[in-house]
Amino acid sequence: MSITLTIDGKKIIAQEGMSILNAASENGIKIPNLCYDGRVELYGACGLCTVEVEGNPKLLRACSTKAADGMVVHTQTERVKSSRKVALELLLSDHTGDCVAPCSKACPAGTDCQGYVGLIANGEYTEAVKLIKDKLPLPASIGRICPHPCEKACRRQYVDEPISIAFLKSFVSDTDLSENTYIPETEPDTNKKVAVIGGGPAGLTAAYFLRKNGHSVTVFEQMEKMGGMLRYGIPEYRLPKAVLDKEIKLIEDMGVTLKNNVNIGKDISFEQIQKDFDATLVAIGAWNSSKMRVPGEDLDGVWGGIDLLREVALGNKVNLGKNVAVCGGGNTAMDACRTAVRLGAENVYVIYRRTKDEMPADPQEILESEEEGVVYKYLTNPIEFTGENGKLNGVILQKMELGEPDESGRRRPVAIEGETEEIALDSVIMAIGQYPNLSGFEALEATRKNTISADESRFTTSLQGVFAVGDATNKGADIAIAAIGEAQKVSVVIDRYLNGETVGYKKPYFVERESKDIDYSKFSKLPRAKMPHMTPTDRKNNFKEVNFGFSEEQAKKEAMRCLECGCHDYFECKLISYANDYDVNPSRFDGEKHNRNQENANDLIARNTDKCILCGLCVRVCEEVMGKSAIGLINRGFNTLVEPELSKPLKETDCIACGQCVALCPTGALREKTAFSKNVPVKEKSQMSICTNCSNLCDIDYRYIGSTVTRALPVNNGILCKGGRFGVLNDKAQNQIDDLSALVNTDFAIVVGGRVSAEALFVLKKFSEENNASIYTVANETDANYYAISKLGIKEYNTLPQNIKSVLLVNAQIETNANKYVAALSPYCENGTFFDKYGNKKTQKAIFTKETFAEVINKKLKNSYDDITCEAEKEINAVSTGKVTNEEIIKSSSLF
Amino acid sequence: MKIAVGQGSCGIAAGAMKAYEVLSSNLDFSDNQLTVTGCIGMCYLEPIVDVYADDGLHRFVKVNGEIAEKIANAVNENNLISVKEYEISDDDKQFLDKQTRIALRHCGIINPEIIEDYTDGDGYKALEKVLTTMSAEDVIEEIKVSGLAGRGGAGFPTWFKWNAARQSQGEKKYLICNADEGDPGAFMDRAVIEGDPHNLIEGMLIGAYAIGAGEAIVYVRAEYPLAIRRLQNAIEQAKAKGFIGQNIMGTSFSCDFRIKAGAGAFVCGEETALIESLEGSRGMPRLKPPFPAQSGYWRKPSNINNVETFANVSWIILNGGSAFSSMGTENSKGTKVFALTGKIKRGGLVEIPMGKTLRDVIFDIGGGIKNNKNFKAVQMGGPSGGCIPKELLDTVIDYKALSQTGAIMGSGGMVVMDDSTCMVEMARFFLDFTAKESCGKCVHCRLGTKRMLEILTRITEGNGKEEDIELLEELCLAIKDGALCGLGQTAPNPVLTTLKYFKNEYVEHITEKKCEAHECTNLLRYEINADACKGCTLCAKKCPVGAINGTVKNPHSIDMEKCIKCGNCINVCKFNAVEVK
Repeated sequence: MSITLTIDGKKIIAQEGMSILNAASENGIKIPNLCYDGRVELYGACGLCTVEVEGNPKLLRACSTKAADGMVVHTQTERVKSSRKVALELLLSDHTGDCVAPCSKACPAGTDCQGYVGLIANGEYTEAVKLIKDKLPLPASIGRICPHPCEKACRRQYVDEPISIAFLKSFVSDTDLSENTYIPETEPDTNKKVAVIGGGPAGLTAAYFLRKNGHSVTVFEQMEKMGGMLRYGIPEYRLPKAVLDKEIKLIEDMGVTLKNNVNIGKDISFEQIQKDFDATLVAIGAWNSSKMRVPGEDLDGVWGGIDLLREVALGNKVNLGKNVAVCGGGNTAMDACRTAVRLGAENVYVIYRRTKDEMPADPQEILESEEEGVVYKYLTNPIEFTGENGKLNGVILQKMELGEPDESGRRRPVAIEGETEEIALDSVIMAIGQYPNLSGFEALEATRKNTISADESRFTTSLQGVFAVGDATNKGADIAIAAIGEAQKVSVVIDRYLNGETVGYKKPYFVERESKDIDYSKFSKLPRAKMPHMTPTDRKNNFKEVNFGFSEEQAKKEAMRCLECGCHDYFECKLISYANDYDVNPSRFDGEKHNRNQENANDLIARNTDKCILCGLCVRVCEEVMGKSAIGLINRGFNTLVEPELSKPLKETDCIACGQCVALCPTGALREKTAFSKNVPVKEKSQMSICTNCSNLCDIDYRYIGSTVTRALPVNNGILCKGGRFGVLNDKAQNQIDDLSALVNTDFAIVVGGRVSAEALFVLKKFSEENNASIYTVANETDANYYAISKLGIKEYNTLPQNIKSVLLVNAQIETNANKYVAALSPYCENGTFFDKYGNKKTQKAIFTKETFAEVINKKLKNSYDDITCEAEKEINAVSTGKVTNEEIIKSSSLF
Repeated sequence: MKIAVGQGSCGIAAGAMKAYEVLSSNLDFSDNQLTVTGCIGMCYLEPIVDVYADDGLHRFVKVNGEIAEKIANAVNENNLISVKEYEISDDDKQFLDKQTRIALRHCGIINPEIIEDYTDGDGYKALEKVLTTMSAEDVIEEIKVSGLAGRGGAGFPTWFKWNAARQSQGEKKYLICNADEGDPGAFMDRAVIEGDPHNLIEGMLIGAYAIGAGEAIVYVRAEYPLAIRRLQNAIEQAKAKGFIGQNIMGTSFSCDFRIKAGAGAFVCGEETALIESLEGSRGMPRLKPPFPAQSGYWRKPSNINNVETFANVSWIILNGGSAFSSMGTENSKGTKVFALTGKIKRGGLVEIPMGKTLRDVIFDIGGGIKNNKNFKAVQMGGPSGGCIPKELLDTVIDYKALSQTGAIMGSGGMVVMDDSTCMVEMARFFLDFTAKESCGKCVHCRLGTKRMLEILTRITEGNGKEEDIELLEELCLAIKDGALCGLGQTAPNPVLTTLKYFKNEYVEHITEKKCEAHECTNLLRYEINADACKGCTLCAKKCPVGAINGTVKNPHSIDMEKCIKCGNCINVCKFNAVEVK
C-alpha cells in the first residue's frame, strides 16, 4: 500500500513499511548515514541519519523510523544539523591518521605528491602527469626549481631522507613532454572573456585552468616572451628555457591567447582591459629589486639581483668584472652568485649577515655554489659601498655576531662594534628582495607595503571584476608554487564569478596526526636517489643544465621509498566527505585518541583499527550476509574494537576472503590490497564487466588507473568470491603489457582452456584474426567459461594444421585435466614457444592483452558482449530469486 | 521460641554467619527453633536476630558472637529481659514502622529457602486464583486497575506491556524478569530474590499466564550468587510442588522456568541488550521499534519486567487492583522500594507509598544525615538519574514530580550526600561509570560520555577551561538526543542536574580552582596557621613526603610542591593548626 508523506516540504509517495531513510533516498533526498546497508539488520550506531518529525519531540533515526501516511519530516533543521555535526566531531575526535599526506598539505598548490609519486613507482607516468596537471600546469619547470616545501614536510626524513619529490615531478613531466604529451580536455566554450595580466607562473596557471573551464583567455605580458620570473629570474642552468617553452606551448595549444610586449598603461590602459573582458586577473609579479639603503648603492657596478638575471636571460652582454659580491642569502642570491661564476668572475663572494644555518637558500644550491668556488662571507653586513668617479671599487663590511632570536625564530645578527673588513670589488649584486612595480595599476588599492591589496580567500581587489594574485599582492614576493597555488584557487573563484556566484576558497578539513606519533622503526632505511649532475669544472663556465634528471630505474626506485602517509581510502571515505559537508571542528572534543599503530594486514586485506568508526558493517555483513563470523566486537566503551575471532590473524579465522567487509567499510579502516606494486590513493576509473572465474558470471566492477587494473569490486550489493574479488592480485601478469611479436613472426596457433576470462578470450580471438592464426579450445561443456568460448565461435581442438611452428597455450590446464592434449602439444613445448597463463617455466610470458581488460572492453568489446551480458544477468537473477545461494556461488568457485 | 537470623547478603557481610553459628551451638533446641530469613531492610543494624517469644517479637541488632551467645543463653533461660540492651531502640523502630510493605512484605520474615514458609501464608494463592478463576484478560485488567508501573526505572504501565505481548501474534512467547540490577547503590532486587524468591516466581507465573508465555526466564547478574542459589532452590521446590512445569495446578497452563546468569554488564539492564545477551550475543542494545512485545527473545513476542514489578503482582491479585491504586498519587500508584545509602543515619531498604516526600524518606525514616552534618542533595536513579538539592526536599515521590526536577524515579537507588560531597566529583564519578559501561555501539554514548568524562576530570583536577561548562551542556543535550538506548540517553542526567542546581561549584572549580567540599585533592591547599602552631614537629614527623618544614617551638610551614594532600598532618595536629583551603 502506498502512503504519502512530506520530506523537507516535498510530497513523497512511499510504500508502507518503508523507512524514512529509504523513502527519502528513493526520492533523491540524501540523509547522511555511516552504518546503514540494506542487506544487514538495522543497527543505529552512527546517529547521523537523525531527522525531526512534526509532532514528535525527539530526534528520530531515519533508518529505523517507518514512514507513515501524512508524516511531515524535516531532514535539515538546525537541531538535526547540529546533532549530526556533534556526532561527526565525536567520531573524528578519535580518528587517527592522515586524510592527505603531509607533502600534499605542505604544497601551496596542493599537488597530490603522494599520488603522483605512487603512480611513478608503478610506472603509470601519464596518469602521474594528469594528476600533477590537475593542480599545476608547468611541472617540468617547477620540478626543477621549486624549493619543494613538500620535501621539508616529507616524513621519510624521520627514517632517513625525504623523497626526492620535486625531481620525480620533473622526471615524469619530461617523460611526458618527450612523446604523447598530455593536454587536458577543455570544457565547451562559455563565451566569457578573461584577461590575465602577467605571463608568469601565476598568470599562465590561471589561464590554463580558466581555459580548461571553457573560458576565452588572453594573457598580456610586457616582456617579449611568456614565463615571467621562471624565464627572467631563473638561470638557464637550473631551468632550460626550452623546457619552459614546451610547457607554455601546451597552454597555447589549449586555446589561450598569448600577447607579448604589451605594457599596461602604455600600449593599452588598464581600464580598457576591464571594459573588454568579463573578468581581469592581475598577476604582474614583483620585478623591482629591493634596496639596502647603504651609502654607495647608486654607484655604477651595483646590480639588483633580478635585474642581473633578467639581463642575462635576455642574452644581453653583461660584464661584472673579476671580483663580484652578492648580498643576500636566498635563492636569488644563489642564482646571482652562480651566474656571476658563469660570466667569468674570478672571485665571487656571498655576503650574509647570519650563518649558513640560518640561510634560507636551498642547501643543495649552497653546496653546488661552493663547489663552483663561491666564497661565503658569513656574519658580515655591507655598511658602505666605496667607489671612485661614480664606479664601485669595494665594500666595507661590518662584522656581526648572533644575538637573541627575533620573531622569526632566527637569531638576530648584532654588529660587533669596531670590527670591519674591506673587500675590493668590481660589481656587487643586491639579492635581498623584490617588490612590484604598480605603475599603470594606480586604480587598484595598494597595501602599506605597496603591493596590491587582495582578499585572502576570494582574491578580489578594490575594483569589481578585478582579481589579483601572486608576488604583486599582499605580503609580496614568495616562491613560484605559492603564486601557482593562488592562481589555481582564483581560477575557481573567477569561474564562479563568471557564473554570477561569489564563493571564496575554503581550506578543506583533514584529519591529521603529529609526525612524532608515528613509529618509524618498521621502515628499513633506503638512501635517497642522488640526482646525477655535471661536475663543477664541466659546469662553471657555461649555462648548460646542471642536472641530468633521473633515469627511469632511479625514479621508480626513489618513488618506491614513499611511506604512503595519506589515507588510501580518501577518495571513497564517507566520513571525510560528511566532515566537510558539516563544517566540523573536532578539536573542541580533543582528548584521548587511539593510536594503536597496528598494521594488521594479510595478503588481501589491510586493517587499521585507528580509523575504525565502529559502524559494525563489516561484522554484520560477515555474519548476516556471508554466514561467517570471522570478525567481531570486543571490549567496551571507548575501547571497543573490531577484531578477528579470538584475535587470530584473519587467515586463521573462517574468513573466506569475499571482501564484503572491505566493500562496506565507510572509512579507511579496511581496504583491499591493490594490484599495484606501490599502493597509492588516487581516483580510479571504473569498468563494469563480468567475472569469468566460474560459470556464475557475476557482475564485476574493475577499477583501473592507466593500464593497471587495481581492484575488482562487487556490483549492486552483489557478492564476489575470493577469485573474483582478489584475482587481480594473483594475475598481475595478466594485466601487464607484453610483447607477443616473437610469436607473430612465426606461423602459430592459439589453444585456450576453459577457465580463461571472457575478456581475455575476446582479445585472443581478435589477436588470432589480426594475425591469421587459428584459435582452438580444449575446454568442454563442464568447464567454467565454455559458454563464452562457444559464443565467440572458438572451435574445439582436434589436430593442428601442418604448417604450425608454435602454439600459444593459454590456461589450457595441461597440468591437470587435459592430459590427452599434452602429448599432442608437447613437441611445441620443446620448441621453446610454449606459453601458459602464468608464464613460469616457459621462455616467454604469455600475456593476453596489449591493453588492460578494462580499456579493451571500453574500446572494443562493448557491442560484442551484449549477448553474454544478457545471459549473465539470467544467472544473476537466479541468485536473487533464490535458486542459487550465495554460499553455493562461493563453493562453486574452484579457487576455494 | 523461633529464632531467625537475617541472612541476606548484607547480614552475611556484617557477620550473620557467626551469629548463626554461635546461636546454633548454644541454643537449647528442645524448645527452640533456629531459622534463617532474608534482609528486613535495616542493613545498618545487621546482623539482626529476631526472637519470636510469647510476648511478641524481640529484635536484636548488631549481633556479634558475644551478643549471640548472651541471646542464646537468654532464650534458653527464657529471660529475654537480660539482653534487652541489645534490642532495637525505639528510635530505630521508626525505620520499619513508617513503611508500607508490599513487594518486601515477606522479606526478613519468612525463610526464603523453605517453600512451606511461603505457602503457609498466602503463597501461591494468587496463582491459584488466577489459574482457576481468571482469564488472561481479567489478569491484565486487574493490573490495569492497580496502576502498577514498571519499577525498573522507566515507569511504563505494566498492563500495557502485558497486553501488547498478549496481542502480539506468535505461538511461542517469553516472559523475562530483568534482575540485572546494576546501579551503584541499588540492592532492592537482590533483597527480594534473596528474601522472598517465591514471590517473584509467583508474580512471573501470573505474568506468563497473562501474556501466554510458555517459558519464563530470570536474567540475573552473576555477581548475585546468593540470590541465584536461593532462586534456583525455590524453582526446584516450586517444580516439585507442581507450580512450575506442565499443567500447573492441574490446569492447562504450562510454563517452564529458568535462570540466566549475566556477566554483569550494566547495559544488559537495558531490555534489548538483555535479550541479545540472553541469546548468547554481545550485550548491545537493538534499535526500537520493533519493541520486544513484537519481536524480542529469538524475535518472538517477549515481555520484560523488573523484579520489583513482579513482586507486587501476587499482592495485587489477592488484594485487588483498587487496593493497590488506593495508595499513591494520581500519576503513581502503590508503593516503591528504595535503597537508601550514602551519608544517611539509617541506610537500608525502604518501601513507602507513592506520594510521600523525599524529606519523609530521608529524615523520618532514614533519620537524617550521619554525624549531624548538613544535607546537600540526594542522587535518585543512580548513573541514569539526577540529584535533587535540599530546596526540593519536599518533592513528592511520584514519577512525574521527580522527573520535573531533572532526576528520575529510577529503580530505587537513593544516595544521600552531605556538604562534604563535591557535586562535580559526584558527576564525574557517575560519568566514569557510564563511560566504562557503554557498550561502544553508538557514537554519542561511546565517545560522548568519554569526552564528558575527560572534561569533568580536568575540571576536578583544576585544569578546567572557561568554555567547559558550555561544552558540557552541548554534549549533554547531544547525547540525550542522539544515543541509541536508555543508558546513553540518561547518562548526562547527573551532569545536567548538578549543572542545574550546583553550577556555582563548577564555576568555582574552573575559575577559582577551588573545591568547597574539599573532595578534589588537586585543588586543595594545606596551610599551617602560624598563630595556632606550637612547633611540636609532630606533623613534620608524620608527613610521608617531608613536605613540612620548621624547627622546634617555631611555626611550621607546608611546601605545596611536595605535599601529596594525604591529610596526615591534619589528623595528627593537636592544635588544629593545619587548615585546608
